[in-house]
Amino acid sequence: MQIGTIDSVWRYPVKGMRGEEVPHIYTAYTGLMGDRIYGVVAADGDPGHPWHTGRNQEEFVLYKASYVSSEDLLLPKNLDATYSEWEPGIDPLYPDADEFKVNVETPDGVTYDDIEDPAFIADLEELTGRSLRIHVTQRGIFDARPISIFSLSAAAKLGEEIGMDIDKRRFRANFYVRWDNQDDPFYENSLIGKTLKIGKWLELTIIERDPRCVMITLDPDTAEATPKLLQHVGRNHDGDAGVFAAVIKRGRVNKGDPIFLNDSAQ
Amino acid sequence: MTRHSEDNKGLIESFRLTLDGEEHIVPIAAGETLLQAALAAGIDAPHLCTEGRCGTCMSWLRNGDVSMASTRALSPRNSERGYVLACQSRPSSPAPIWLDFDL
Repeated sequence: MQIGTIDSVWRYPVKGMRGEEVPHIYTAYTGLMGDRIYGVVAADGDPGHPWHTGRNQEEFVLYKASYVSSEDLLLPKNLDATYSEWEPGIDPLYPDADEFKVNVETPDGVTYDDIEDPAFIADLEELTGRSLRIHVTQRGIFDARPISIFSLSAAAKLGEEIGMDIDKRRFRANFYVRWDNQDDPFYENSLIGKTLKIGKWLELTIIERDPRCVMITLDPDTAEATPKLLQHVGRNHDGDAGVFAAVIKRGRVNKGDPIFLNDSAQ
Repeated sequence: MTRHSEDNKGLIESFRLTLDGEEHIVPIAAGETLLQAALAAGIDAPHLCTEGRCGTCMSWLRNGDVSMASTRALSPRNSERGYVLACQSRPSSPAPIWLDFDL
């Protein structure tokens, strides 16, 4: 049974910075290709969560990070082999690390061709007063789990509940979805423990709800904070918004792909 | 049993709290955080992690002084505005406290 559709696919080249919508993406056990490859580490950060993000500098969500070779970072070069009949297929072969080069445009319009340019960190350090460095890993930097899903109906309902328009991008999900179910705006919560098939290849299990923090209070276009959104989520939705998933079978996902409950996938 | 024992060394015995446009006077025992006191008083104060990580209990300290064990979810901009994390805030002077959740 089809239960919904992929509205859009997003990845975030730098943890905490603005994301980019992509037409399709390879999704591995470790998450979306190119998702949160870079992070900015603060020397004075919490040892368990040292990342410099909008929690520390609201305007950080306005920084635009883009892969120089974005088109080459959507699908692995051995895509067909990952679909081998010899289950579970071969691990995806990603480009060399230097092909993940990312440039950054600041909210003031200054562009750095390479986030690893020492001038970028020097300028950010001067702006924030923190000692910072770049961390990079091809397999992603996540707070909790590598795949997050959020429905457009949940964004709309939360907006209705607090009396303001809520931009879905506040929730920094990988997959924004439209559910066929019109009765429950938070339908994703009912899918915990269920396995879904998305498009032709990807299968994932919805693991748990996504506990939220101050990041959702930040307007993705202005960085202005609306604390009442997080307060509302805390008081009325157990602090959660959206769900996390774990990949069971890897594969390509396209914008517009149908979403099926796995037991009736076609 | 009173929540303020004989050996209470608390700097204040109660504080003012604003939530949803309503005013509350909240008793607070020595060693309690402002959030713990609010919840003990039956007030539905916003909170989640209670470890200073999520920021759900961020509120405006309109008056008084507190010390916070952690400010992880508090940006410099919000600190300058006078915002605090209620789950981490304990009175640090005898000055009357007014905590406002209606941000």
